[in-house]
Amino acid sequence: MKPGHDPARPARDTALRRVAREARPFLRARTGAILRLSGWSLLEFAQTFLSGYGVARALDDGFLAGRPATGLLWLAVAAVAVLPSVLAARGVFGRLADLVEPLRDGLVRRAVARALSGALGRSGHVGTRSLSQVTHQSEIARDGWAGLVLTLRSFVFTAAGAVTGLLALSPALLLIVLPPLVLGAALFLGTLPPMAARQRAYLAADEAYAAHAGELAASVRDIAAAGTAERTVAESRALADAQLAASRSLARWSAVRVVALAVCGRFPPLLLLLGAPWLLRNGLTPGGLVGALTYLTQALAPAVQALMTMLGTAGGRLVVVLDRFTDAPPPPADEPAREAAPPASRSAAREATPVAELHEVTFAYGPRAHPVLDRLSLTVGAGEHLAVVGPSGSGKSTLAAVLAGTERPTGGAVRWRGRPARPADATSVRVLLPQHAYVFSGSLRDNLRYLRPDAHDREIAAMADAVGLDTLLSRLGSLDAAVEPDRLSQGERQLVALGRAYLAAPPLLILDEATSRLDPAAETRAELAFATLPGALVVVAHRLSSARRADRTLVMDGPHTQCGTPGELLRSSALYRDLSGLWEPEEADAVPGRDVPEEARREQRRLVEERAIRSTPPPSPV
Amino acid sequence: MTRTGRPVGEHHRRAGRPRARWGRTPDPKGDPVPLPHPDPSPGTASGARRLARQHPAALTWLFLCSTSGALAALALPAALGHTVDRLVSGGPVPWSGLLLCAALTLAETGFDAAAAVTGTTTSARLTAHLRTRTAARILAAEPRRALALPTGDLTARLTARTADAASAPVTAAGAVAGVLLPLGALVGLLLIDVWTAAALLLGAPLLVLLLRTFTRGTADAGADYQRAQSLIAHRLTEALDGADTIRAARTGAREHRRVLEPLTALADHGRRTWTVYGRAVGRSGLLLPLLMLLVLAVAGLRLGAGAIGVGELVAASRYASLAVGIGSLTGALGSLARSRAAARSLDPLLTLAPLPHRGLGPVPDAPGHLELRDVGVEQDGRPLLTGVHLTVPGGTSLAVVGRSGSGKSQLAAVAGRLLDPDTGSVLLDGVPLDGMEPARLRREVAYAFARPALLGTTVEDTIAHGPWTAAPDAVREAARAARADGFLALLPYGYATPVADAPLSGGERQRLGLARAFAHPGRLLILDDALSSLDTVTEHHVRRALDARAGRCTRIIVAHRLSSAARADRVAWLEDGRLRATGRHDELWEDPDYRAVFSTDTSAPSPLAAAEPR
Repeated sequence: MKPGHDPARPARDTALRRVAREARPFLRARTGAILRLSGWSLLEFAQTFLSGYGVARALDDGFLAGRPATGLLWLAVAAVAVLPSVLAARGVFGRLADLVEPLRDGLVRRAVARALSGALGRSGHVGTRSLSQVTHQSEIARDGWAGLVLTLRSFVFTAAGAVTGLLALSPALLLIVLPPLVLGAALFLGTLPPMAARQRAYLAADEAYAAHAGELAASVRDIAAAGTAERTVAESRALADAQLAASRSLARWSAVRVVALAVCGRFPPLLLLLGAPWLLRNGLTPGGLVGALTYLTQALAPAVQALMTMLGTAGGRLVVVLDRFTDAPPPPADEPAREAAPPASRSAAREATPVAELHEVTFAYGPRAHPVLDRLSLTVGAGEHLAVVGPSGSGKSTLAAVLAGTERPTGGAVRWRGRPARPADATSVRVLLPQHAYVFSGSLRDNLRYLRPDAHDREIAAMADAVGLDTLLSRLGSLDAAVEPDRLSQGERQLVALGRAYLAAPPLLILDEATSRLDPAAETRAELAFATLPGALVVVAHRLSSARRADRTLVMDGPHTQCGTPGELLRSSALYRDLSGLWEPEEADAVPGRDVPEEARREQRRLVEERAIRSTPPPSPV
Repeated sequence: MTRTGRPVGEHHRRAGRPRARWGRTPDPKGDPVPLPHPDPSPGTASGARRLARQHPAALTWLFLCSTSGALAALALPAALGHTVDRLVSGGPVPWSGLLLCAALTLAETGFDAAAAVTGTTTSARLTAHLRTRTAARILAAEPRRALALPTGDLTARLTARTADAASAPVTAAGAVAGVLLPLGALVGLLLIDVWTAAALLLGAPLLVLLLRTFTRGTADAGADYQRAQSLIAHRLTEALDGADTIRAARTGAREHRRVLEPLTALADHGRRTWTVYGRAVGRSGLLLPLLMLLVLAVAGLRLGAGAIGVGELVAASRYASLAVGIGSLTGALGSLARSRAAARSLDPLLTLAPLPHRGLGPVPDAPGHLELRDVGVEQDGRPLLTGVHLTVPGGTSLAVVGRSGSGKSQLAAVAGRLLDPDTGSVLLDGVPLDGMEPARLRREVAYAFARPALLGTTVEDTIAHGPWTAAPDAVREAARAARADGFLALLPYGYATPVADAPLSGGERQRLGLARAFAHPGRLLILDDALSSLDTVTEHHVRRALDARAGRCTRIIVAHRLSSAARADRVAWLEDGRLRATGRHDELWEDPDYRAVFSTDTSAPSPLAAAEPR
């Protein structure tokens, strides 16, 4: 695992290119929707055209010519063009949804795929980034994209209507109007790259501060206890000031943008007035002048302003946000159809082939890290019951993961049923239950059938009796009852997971402290139930009572391991003696010739007392 | 201000002092000594008003710019109309009118640009200021004040709310222009011709009605949309929580489908929001142009009647469109309301009183004799600790036991002043904790928690983090004592591994928290359930490291396990917030009730333990 998971991206301008690369096929697939959207927008073209042309004719032919009825008629014509607005808006927004909702769908899909792949690819590394992508960032993209489509569309058709209208009034008008438009647009386009860079810097500063604030809020108690309030406030100030600097830089560019906007929107009417004497001499009517002014102030200026604002604010953010979705990994792939692997039969259990073997397996978390497993060899016979014990951090969970094939060893070989372990075989060979049981919101039945979707209710009922799920089942009422994971205790969650494994009855079941939240009685009941199954059982034990039930025990102490029966281990493993001393003093006391310091002996006596109390099982946590 | 050496051991605490509660301003006069603080008077003014006082020059300039910009925009149509009239009448080129138009356009542009720069900068400055000040207030106050808020809420206040509140002055300046423009435009219309103004006013009620239907419709569709969205987020959170299981069961594809199942509904609700929005846009797209055409028709008729000129018709049409822009004001008012609400939500944080103290320091070279006198703590009117009298001789260890909810964590918090008792007092070597300067107290008291927040970037930072930054040697020594060195060696980059990237179990995090405490030894060490996730072997070794500090350091160990109680010099047994008994473990053991305390291990998180890193 690398610290800082985002490899430095190449030069800044490629963000737009990356987004554009993925946008092209998206838009190409939606050509139909874009065309229909344009169709509905034609009305806007007509409205804009008539807004100026109608006024010009109403003045020239009507009000200024002393024929008010004609003037009113021309205005009525313009009004008629406005009437289908409601219908057109419905059409436009319907097609808008065709363009926007699929984008959001795609982004949510990608965010979920990224979150799942990230979490499944490497244990313990789940960023909050993906969750914010699902809710917050996909919404920014949705709103930004919709705004962009709307304003761009509106600008195109309004501008077309206005330009056509100006042409109809007098082609010479374009000579006056177009130069400032082009100049302003060029100025604006020039501000886009530097502003986008500053916007990215601003967003990065904002996120850095937000991450800090989240950590601060979650650590109020610890900051107080560590007495580091002042240092934390100084960090806050530094991050807030960094964002302020980014804002200032952004603000300076926004002034340039206001000027560009003015050149586009506010200068053309001025130029029109300046040129008016010449235009009027060359055949422009007074109505034509008013119509042209109407185009410039009422249609073009607002459309230009809307477009520039949109491109400058939401547009820049849209690119930044979309770019975060461009490197999404593919979603987790489906398992190939599961081989017909019925629960291992009794005869299979007696087969001589070991169900799993480790040969000289080495595992380290990084090139500079000490190995957790060092050339470990281990054979798990079919139907065998093996316990793994050792202090925390000694590599028990790593061993379980390597045995189950969820972690690939750095060196050595893992074999299942005599063949090299392949991911494709994993689900038919073994079930691995981690300490943290996964229960999802859904029916109890779906939760229990997680590993064997075809299990019958009859089998589930039998399993519930065997494993000790009957209490939970009767509390929830039925298998159809909705399970709310937050309402279950950790012990109940572990029972649900154990129930799943029991139904799956795999040739190899690996319990990685999967009974740690059960009380000893419940743990015993569950483990005895598994003992009746034909498959092999590997238990990473957190109580020695559970280890004692095993045929063999593997003692782990970092890279050093020893395997044997409890009797052998008491003779050969100092750690095992230590463990049994602290876990179960009676056994340690029975070891002859062991030099127990006075202090430890006192400790053991106390633990004997403790055990005496604990032997009455504590009340169920429910 | 008093310094070290004051007669100690008095009953310094005034019992029954009114406590600051959320939403109420504490009485600053209640503190015995004025506190050195950058902002000594937590004022009573509302957040927005206080903000306005922060940068008076910038804000005045901002209001000046936006008002002047609006005035220029209002004057322009009249000048334009006047010039058009002169142009159409065919006389000499009206240079003065053209110049006026140009000047007004340039003024409007300049003021807009200035307002944009000033506005953005001012908002950003206010935001940065508010954020820093809020963080400072939170961290200077008694932790339980901030801990009364859920972490997510606190984060939101530190991020989004501060930004919202800080945008108030800029929004207000925008709103002033937003009011000025339509009202001025209406006046302009009235001045040109009463009838045109009447035509506009006739259409206005329709406009208002339209804006109202818009907000109602979106709220409904939006709520469904958000529900579907949070369902996806919820399922994803669950699946991420169960990543270990999913990886092992290779059910990633199935989970992917399950998480995304509500996406269809989400898209449906999304389409509905667009339909609602489209309906509103369609209506305004109908109404606004019709309103404009109505004004034009009236102006045209008045023109035909000779009441106004062509230029006045142009001005009237321009004024009509400015007046119609009043709709944008609702947006500004909405943001103002949001700013106000945000400022209100920040007020309780900004008025948090810093921890009072009287400038005392610890007695030099004292062993850490801890004394609790008649200590009581309550929360929301419910007593958590009542009348606790307790003495822990310097250098000894005390185990605090009791069923969950019996007040163990509160006792641990009170003993090191993470919590000020509501009644009674706590003394360390005779000096009351609430008289000591917090910074000097922190050097004497180290805490370790059941679920520590790992502060700092790397593992090394986390352990070194404290009232002083521990030296690398001290960090390694502390890690060894906390039995963390073993798993740290397995991390990809050892001590330099970023905490966020380190795959740490609960027990490993706990040991890092212990190492942090061990790296900052003082005269008092408080372990609030900080051994709960360790296996018995590791716990045994950590306990040995703790025992090695006997004589130098007083240790308070909140524990569930019997072995912890048995090992301590003395045990304080809490029951329902009262001290039921103190004594040696083997003495207390005679009592069956005491033995029953250890028969269950379950514990509910205490309020202080509730702030877990996510």
